[in-house]
Amino acid sequence: MLGAFLLFPREAPLPDPQSGPDRARRWIVLVGGTLVVILVATLGFVVADRFGGSPVVVEGVVGSEKVDLFEDDRVRDRFAELGYDVRVRPRGSRLMAEEADFVSPGSTIASEHVRELHGATTEYRPFSTPMVMLTYAPMAEALRETGVAREAEDGAWSFDMSAYLDLTEERTRWRDLPGDSVSAGDRNEVLARTTDPRTSNSAAMHVGVLSYLLNGEEVVSPGAEDAELAETLSRLFPAQGRPPESSQQPFEQFRDLGPGHTPLLWAYESQYVHAAVRGPALPEDAVLMYPEPTVFSTHTIVPFVENGDEVGRLLTEDPELRQLVTEHGYRTDDTRHFGDLVDEHGLPVRPRVGDVVHSPAHEALEAPLSSIERDYEDTGAGPAVEEAASSRSGGGRS
Amino acid sequence: MRGAWGAAAVAIALPAAGACTPEVEGATLRVLAGSELADMEPLLEASAERTGVRLELEYSGTLDGTERVAAGRADGFDAVWFPSNRYLHLVDEGRSTIHTETSVMLSPVVLGVLESRAEAFGWTVADGIVPDLTWEDITVAVEREGLTYGMSSPAASNSGFSALVGAASAMADTGAALESEDVAGVEERLETFFSGQGLTAGSSGWLMDEFVLRQAGDAEAQGSPLDGVLNYESVLLSRGPDLAGDDLALVYPEDGVVTADHPLTLRSGASEELVEAYERVVADLTSEEVQTEIAETTFRRPVTAEAAGRDLPPMVELPFPARRDVVDDLVAAYFAELRRPARTVYVLDVSGSMAADRIDDLRASLTALTGADEGPLSSRGQTFQAREEVTLLPFSDVPEEPLTFVLEPDGSAKVRAELADEVAALEAGGETAAYDAVERAYELLEEAGEDSHLLSVVLMTDGEVNQGMDLDELLGSLAEAPSRVEAAPVFTVLFGDADAAEMERLSSWTGGRVFDAREMELEQVFREIRGYQ
Repeated sequence: MLGAFLLFPREAPLPDPQSGPDRARRWIVLVGGTLVVILVATLGFVVADRFGGSPVVVEGVVGSEKVDLFEDDRVRDRFAELGYDVRVRPRGSRLMAEEADFVSPGSTIASEHVRELHGATTEYRPFSTPMVMLTYAPMAEALRETGVAREAEDGAWSFDMSAYLDLTEERTRWRDLPGDSVSAGDRNEVLARTTDPRTSNSAAMHVGVLSYLLNGEEVVSPGAEDAELAETLSRLFPAQGRPPESSQQPFEQFRDLGPGHTPLLWAYESQYVHAAVRGPALPEDAVLMYPEPTVFSTHTIVPFVENGDEVGRLLTEDPELRQLVTEHGYRTDDTRHFGDLVDEHGLPVRPRVGDVVHSPAHEALEAPLSSIERDYEDTGAGPAVEEAASSRSGGGRS
Repeated sequence: MRGAWGAAAVAIALPAAGACTPEVEGATLRVLAGSELADMEPLLEASAERTGVRLELEYSGTLDGTERVAAGRADGFDAVWFPSNRYLHLVDEGRSTIHTETSVMLSPVVLGVLESRAEAFGWTVADGIVPDLTWEDITVAVEREGLTYGMSSPAASNSGFSALVGAASAMADTGAALESEDVAGVEERLETFFSGQGLTAGSSGWLMDEFVLRQAGDAEAQGSPLDGVLNYESVLLSRGPDLAGDDLALVYPEDGVVTADHPLTLRSGASEELVEAYERVVADLTSEEVQTEIAETTFRRPVTAEAAGRDLPPMVELPFPARRDVVDDLVAAYFAELRRPARTVYVLDVSGSMAADRIDDLRASLTALTGADEGPLSSRGQTFQAREEVTLLPFSDVPEEPLTFVLEPDGSAKVRAELADEVAALEAGGETAAYDAVERAYELLEEAGEDSHLLSVVLMTDGEVNQGMDLDELLGSLAEAPSRVEAAPVFTVLFGDADAAEMERLSSWTGGRVFDAREMELEQVFREIRGYQ
């Protein structure tokens, strides 16, 4: 675990490595014959803006967890002031990335894959969030007594992923845990609820961390097929039952349906922070825990056209947008914003998340993910299509 | 290089295009809905006042409706609204039919049991709830105390489907989503559990009506009273007060339940206007005020934690199987192995008025039931099942010689073929002595002896009864039958010029139901009745 920390420390998103002159040149080359159109476009919206006309429509395909951000009136208003009407679609099924001006995957791995698929070279990394576990107080207590969870010195909870994996290998039930506060009758396995690993970034992140642990605390490398690892991993998904219909659904079910429905959830920290800051609030006994190790979901903007590029740039640079992004629970490279927000609301959030691993490369994740996919598809449980374009594979895996 | 450039340019040239919100005032969403949702109509009318969007509901059974959607036979509907989309997601592999779904309210499928009976089983009732019981405890009560209950057919209704998945998952007790191989180990316990099922039905609503009627001890209702009924919590809570002289206590099995989450589901291909209309409706229905109202008026649980729900106990949700074959295998096992087999006498009018088209229709419709059990889940159990006993009793001037077929688990194909041959040989001629034939049917049920079969009679007639005894004489005669035989319901099929009032009286007196083949295909009617046998 310490090794992971030393080898792969990462606290905040990196600044965009590819902005600057290179990108500008690329756009000139790319645009070529349509230069006239751009000039007209630029003039068009400058004029439109000045005279209070309509902003330029920019269409994006984003992971469903980011829809709230883009549809927040304050975010829309700020983009409108800057001359853009940014519209996002959470679904990727039949909305291929080609039809969008930008896509916004939830990980650098997915982002890289999208760029490869579409020959895009630009990428912004405006914000990120670590993956967390959410539970309820009685469950947290039982997990503490089992040695899986602990309240760390900084006041935040830590969740030992390795010890958790041991519990799942023994197929431990909630009622087997110590303490009488856990519903004595809950015979369900101690198993984190995730999104659908075949389509959703959040669950792919889960696979990333688990595969790291199952691979002897090493990031799985491409081409190294490990049947045992794949088998252990793939049980943990169908065993949860029917996969959820979106990455937002399990979070909402955790929030609204109580511990009998979702006692343990793998989620984005941003979902927790946003719920605490903007509501609807989580139940009072909800507990935020930091998996050790965890992984960062780095949200990127991959633009396909100039206007999409502007959305990425503005999200990264505009102070007002950055403030709003923070209010949605994301961390930007300005840690002060996030720190202030957390202090203001008294959230049990860990300011610096240390024990972080890299996700395996896209190709390395393919093997375990395909194994999981086969496990479902042998028998016809079709995946939700929602995020096919935006997160894992950017535009459908063809 | 990129098509989007063109789109962007167009958007710039015409800045107003697409920038305005689509006009949805006065829009209508056509919705294929589960029949359980009829109680939402007043609420939806009030909602339409606020949103300007009207929901036009057409009702259907959940599984049947689901398969219409998955098979592309639900054109004309913008949205579907069933108690659950679980089965839709299992059959609709490409997720091709759904644009968006939003859970609107919740209701777990639980057991309602008469307080007096619960106490007789040695169960403690506190505030209308029997705490600390498992599915196994219920099974033990079936085994030792003779607990009987009603449950709808898992192939026709979502409540029965949920109860079956719940019971099997809890008994298998693996802690994870059910797998096919898990069922084999608990078949015996499940069989015991289902030996308590004294009533089946094609719909949750009819099931509850019939349960309440039988408690009322109405002189006109002869079905055996049951101790309990598996149904939605909301149905049990809203209908419980209708029971005469006894209260209904709820059993929330502590090893878990399966909950209906009523997702309002927009179908794919919706126009921008419909998407906007849908979003407005969903925002209204999930608002704190409406959620509170749903909880108050329909007894369903709110989906938003902020809404003030009723004070209902927490429960554990069982993971729902991730694989379709698990569910298909389980439903097949329910019909072929787990449930009490059916014994049915088909009392068939072959009088002169049935000649030509009508007898052809009857032959074709009955033949359809002799086929192998395959195809979509909603048609499971609609053909004759292993272990089942089917008697054909044609009549005209008098009841003809009955023909009884037993579908032994081995060799049922041969029996099906023989049955089909006999059906094909039906010929029309003579008068209509229907009630003599019904009396004969009850004699046959009595002669068959006492065993675990669920008994019923189907009466199909196309004209006024003009020969033999009249209805009063028949009812007088049935009252003399042994109670287990007398409790068999008569499902009457209105065909041609049948006397609707008399058929209604016969059905309600025996705890059966009237089916109208004047407005529906006869084959469809016969299939639907299978959910009640």
